[in-house]
Amino acid sequence: MTSVRTVSSILLLLLVECAARPFYPLPSRRNDRSKQPLQTFRPYNIAHRGSCGEFPEETASAYKRAIEEDADFIETDILASKDGILICFHDLTLDATTDIAQHKKFESRKRTYEVQGKNITGYFTIDFTLEELKSLRVNQRSPFRDQQYNGKFSIIIFEDFISIALGAPRVVGIYPEIKNPVFINQHVKWPIGKKFEDKFVDTLKKYGYKGTYLSKQWLKQPAFIQSFAPTSLIYISHLTDLPKILLIDDATTPTQDTNQSYWEITSNSYFDFIKDYVVGIGPWKDSIVPASNNYLQTPTDLVTRSHAYNLQVHPFIFQNDNMSLHFNFSQDPYNEYEYWIKKIGVDGLFTDFTGSLHHYQEWTNPFSMGEESASKLLDKIAYMISKFRNSYN
Amino acid sequence: MFELTVILKQPKQKSRIGAAKGRDSMASARLVPLSFLLLLVGCASRPLYPLPGKRYDASKKPLQTFRPYNLAHRGSNGEFPEETAAAYMRAIEEGADFIEGDVLASKDGVLIMQHDVTLDDTTDIAEHKEFANRKRTCNVQGTNTTGFFHFDFTLEELKSLGVKQRYPFRDQQYNGKFPIITFKEFISIALDAPRVVGIYPEIKNPAMVNQYVKWPGGKKFEDKFVETLHKYGYRGEYMSKQWLKQPAFIQSFAPTSLIYVSNLTDLPKVFLIDDITIPTQDTNQSYWEVTSDKYLNFIKNYVMGIGPWKDTIVYVSENYLQPPTDLVARAHALNLQVHPYTYRNENQFLHFNFSQDPYKEYDYWINTIGVDGLFTDFTGSLHQYQEWTTPSPSGEKSATKLLDKIGSMISKYRNPQT
Repeated sequence: MTSVRTVSSILLLLLVECAARPFYPLPSRRNDRSKQPLQTFRPYNIAHRGSCGEFPEETASAYKRAIEEDADFIETDILASKDGILICFHDLTLDATTDIAQHKKFESRKRTYEVQGKNITGYFTIDFTLEELKSLRVNQRSPFRDQQYNGKFSIIIFEDFISIALGAPRVVGIYPEIKNPVFINQHVKWPIGKKFEDKFVDTLKKYGYKGTYLSKQWLKQPAFIQSFAPTSLIYISHLTDLPKILLIDDATTPTQDTNQSYWEITSNSYFDFIKDYVVGIGPWKDSIVPASNNYLQTPTDLVTRSHAYNLQVHPFIFQNDNMSLHFNFSQDPYNEYEYWIKKIGVDGLFTDFTGSLHHYQEWTNPFSMGEESASKLLDKIAYMISKFRNSYN
Repeated sequence: MFELTVILKQPKQKSRIGAAKGRDSMASARLVPLSFLLLLVGCASRPLYPLPGKRYDASKKPLQTFRPYNLAHRGSNGEFPEETAAAYMRAIEEGADFIEGDVLASKDGVLIMQHDVTLDDTTDIAEHKEFANRKRTCNVQGTNTTGFFHFDFTLEELKSLGVKQRYPFRDQQYNGKFPIITFKEFISIALDAPRVVGIYPEIKNPAMVNQYVKWPGGKKFEDKFVETLHKYGYRGEYMSKQWLKQPAFIQSFAPTSLIYVSNLTDLPKVFLIDDITIPTQDTNQSYWEVTSDKYLNFIKNYVMGIGPWKDTIVYVSENYLQPPTDLVARAHALNLQVHPYTYRNENQFLHFNFSQDPYKEYDYWINTIGVDGLFTDFTGSLHQYQEWTTPSPSGEKSATKLLDKIGSMISKYRNPQT
């Protein structure tokens, strides 16, 4: 009789011990009070698709590198696989940034779909299960950037992206986009009638993302939700109070869901309306300051008017490659940062080159905080005074 | 200044005497030659007044010598067509320590600023039908080159051409707008600057120039080169008082030219070193020979530094840097400065280690390799990098600026962000 009780008590002990394990947080996931907080005193360094100047876009490496290079936020585009898993991927098709062409077994999956009024042919993410997508490898999109990582990394899912941010040694925000929601909802179905936007917010909530802009909870886990589709943003404003950003395409492209023109959604009356749902806008930078013959023209009043409605402005995209730089900047990305931050006065910048923007900001508007810098500060001051004294001799 | 005031005074005295004497008729006969004399003196004394713009201004900000030199390679040719007045003036505006240029010669022996021995790539020569028949083929350092050669054109003819931006991916808007300038004009631009700006001229292709251009009195290209420098007061050893007033480096790929001019001037010289596959144009010595300890030990008696191509200091494989060679260490051991060429912002020139960021390249070469000067096409970028990371201490102004800066640093520390 005793042996039965012994066995059952041993079994019970085993059960308890095994179950108890998850209650100890992993050391790396401990809520470390000394985690350096998000900086909020200068424009946000938003790592556009990770550090995609150096690594293939939207891969774990690109994001880890961006965090290493001191991004304030890591940015991503959320799409869905055939089986409804939310993935980090920019294009609707796999052609430009993966080795799909080398996978003969997927040849037959090539299709043509209508996307925002145009017929597009290619291998669409929505025709592949997650397992199939994971068998592909991501390539560097731009041929003039480093090709050495081609074929080495796989597509990651939304949850992996979030884990990378939460696993960082300091507070790093996330900036995910509800990408092509009209198209996704057309072709991917979720149980219980849930939509793409629902699944998107569910994932954020699962990982504890909540709170209005600059609230205490938000500062622990900062996040912006971005989209080109105003109806999606309005829809999710009932599901989460996280800050939202309305992305604005160039002047020739209407919104994908409401078919409104650029001029309509950048009008004062529209700003007056949308400001109840979003904290800012994310326009294409050439629509803020148009360019002619690769020279900047007079800036429009878009930033001024946005700021008048208390809307932040986070333009896209800043790139170091000289063909992306207008001649005013003498092929110098730092001159471009200087112009947009000091002259135009934007509140955040989507950049492919996190490290360069960080250097620019540290050199011109350095961040000093925490106990360490007391002695560092005194060192710095002593050095400055001695240099000044020596220049007199 | 003393002589000037004496001459100044004389005409005034003479005019007073002249006015008194002019009263009687005998005086009028003397008056004419006197007035004529006055006019002569008056006109002659004009050049003795320095132009206000050229006055030696004692408060001219001196050359910085505490951080590696910012050498404006062919002027700010990232923005303007190379070696034009505009490119040089822009470089000075952007904070260059030295403006750099290549000196060649026209058919009539005038020293000009021009990099290529042919005019094809950087001028609108092709549009000048009147010169169509001047095209020819010459042997340039062992290679047969066809084109319009600078020494087949007089200065006047060269001045009729318009310089254009060499690289198609750079700003083309100034093409054809600026002329080729002379060595003298180049020097004037430096001397006219509101602060001390050094010059860094190159004795370019001397073997070829001496072959095709002749000067009277048996003078050679190198003689005329140094004469021009002397005429404008350039002299003195490196870091001497005279040198710091008008800093200059003389550079050349041809060691014999540098050795030759060392008997004519004590200005510091820099020995340029080409790619590892290219021997010296005058002595046909290999890269390995001229970078050996033995050779550096020899040449250091004539030059104070070397100017190598940067990819020979740190080799590149598949657009990634390899471990550095010991060239800089050995040069420094022999007290030779190292001024590598050429730094360019465009991503096709930046190795992948630098993430398409020219400032990362500057950082590597200045802080990891430790060079003493950098030839850059983008003066403004290098200047900005240096000012942000090793700012220059300057004069009385910065006492208040310094206190302001310290104040803001302390307040930021006291009020950290929440």
